[in-house]
Amino acid sequence: MKKLSAINRSDKKTAFLMLLPLIGLLTAFVIIPLFYAVFVSFYKWNFYQENIFIGFENYKRVLSDPLFYKAMWTGLKFAAIVIPIQFVLAFLFANLIRTLGGKFGGFVKTSIYIPHVISGVVASIIFLFIYDFDGGLANFIIQSLGLEKVAWLADVKFALASISVPAIWLGFGLTTLVMLAGLNDIPKTYYEAAVIDGANAWHKMIYITIPLLKNIFLYLLVVGVTGAIQQFDLPYLMTGGGPLNETMTPNLFIFTHFTKDPYMGYTVSSALLLFVILAVISAVIFKLFNSKKMDS
Amino acid sequence: MKEKLNIYGLKLIGFLVAILSIFPLIWMAMAGFKKESEVLSYPFKFFPSEWILTNYIELLQNPAFMRSIGLTLFVAVVATTLIIFINSMAAYVFARLEFPTKNFWWLYVIMTLFIPSMAILIPSYIVVAKLHMLNTIYVLIIPGIASAMNVFLIRQFYLNIPTELEDAAFIDGANRFKIYWYIFLPLSVPVFVLVGITAFLGYWNSLIWPIMTISDERLYQIMQLLAYFRSDQGNDWAMIMAGSTIAAIPVIVLFLIFQRHLIEGIKISGIK
Repeated sequence: MKKLSAINRSDKKTAFLMLLPLIGLLTAFVIIPLFYAVFVSFYKWNFYQENIFIGFENYKRVLSDPLFYKAMWTGLKFAAIVIPIQFVLAFLFANLIRTLGGKFGGFVKTSIYIPHVISGVVASIIFLFIYDFDGGLANFIIQSLGLEKVAWLADVKFALASISVPAIWLGFGLTTLVMLAGLNDIPKTYYEAAVIDGANAWHKMIYITIPLLKNIFLYLLVVGVTGAIQQFDLPYLMTGGGPLNETMTPNLFIFTHFTKDPYMGYTVSSALLLFVILAVISAVIFKLFNSKKMDS
Repeated sequence: MKEKLNIYGLKLIGFLVAILSIFPLIWMAMAGFKKESEVLSYPFKFFPSEWILTNYIELLQNPAFMRSIGLTLFVAVVATTLIIFINSMAAYVFARLEFPTKNFWWLYVIMTLFIPSMAILIPSYIVVAKLHMLNTIYVLIIPGIASAMNVFLIRQFYLNIPTELEDAAFIDGANRFKIYWYIFLPLSVPVFVLVGITAFLGYWNSLIWPIMTISDERLYQIMQLLAYFRSDQGNDWAMIMAGSTIAAIPVIVLFLIFQRHLIEGIKISGIK
């Protein structure tokens, strides 16, 4: 029976025919743009004129632009607010859901998953409404606590934190359910054995649950951090990057530049640099997780 | 006794978090039923003092809004179908067929997983502009079809299908494509639901690509329309919230229909 899957000519032809649409589309819309990006980044390039080779000039301009650094820093800060909060809440809540069974557990899972299907646009609109200075829910609550009204999205102190709330809301459910799937995969016998050895709840968490969820944490962390740094919809709709570029995430920075600057070289260079930065961040996260400390 | 209290306590927290998760959406829908004068007025009211249907009715009769909903639905359905077909066909090839240069092509596909969409956004725009695809329905559908992630997921799924079924079909003289079509496709429902819903959500919710490539208002995608609507309508919050509610309903309904598969899918996607 093995013979059937051996290499033969008709297999080869069928294989290429069936791969062709995928390879063609990937080449046209991913591979060519990637190489083209590298090409454009070395040129003074726009749609209407002859392109001029300028070497590393675009990169130099990006790397000497304080706004670029500010945008990268904003992306990192945004991730640093969203991801830890999301992680801790999701981890605690996943442990809680595990104790809930039946219909009620199902209701809770469904409810927390729903925001995941909502777009950043709808989330932005809801939270713009909640943050409205005069009639929004946020200031209503603040005032009933006897505090002063806050300009959530216009005050440099609050703007980034304010757009983090919808991001946490959108991502919380899926993060929780992924962690829950991981928790459910840990054999019950591990815990039973630990109890016989005299372990308490804390020991079980530290020595069984967390180490066995390592790969899931790693996945969620890489996807979460790179996703948060690339957030676009929320700042685009809620603040437009303001106040004073305080919420100008890297993607919004690139997009804004794209709409203003007819020369694409600068924009493309900054996007490629963002790519490099994201790759470095992912590599650092991998490295941290695979260091000895986490293995013990 | 203490144990029992604990369980009620956990249930209560679970209930509160569940409500907190859906509260913003319910509140959005409620705002759509309020009069414009009431929507941001103090004291804060959850339910409208008078239920108004005019916001919703006006939108459902608004040709631009409804055309955008219909067009986005069309784009998302066509794209999702193509995504499932093209990526699963390739996944089948990588899972089952042997041919020279297979490893090269596998790497070629998988490599694209590591390219963030932002890095190629502007050059993709240049490519579609040069192909004269700007302001056409094709620019909305085609560039997002090929997806290494989906090929990967579906291939993982196919690798777990036992080969006995195919062997019988081979003996009956079926070719590779027929085996894909008649044996693999019908078995693929669980992974297709996962891939399909994710794809549909991606298309329905997409913002940055339509904003860049579509300026013809007859082709506005729903999230794009909503974003512009927000900046044009300024403070007509009741209307904006009604519009957002209508735009969110299709994906919520879709989710509720397929939620069991999606929650199962978290396991299929094999993060571990």
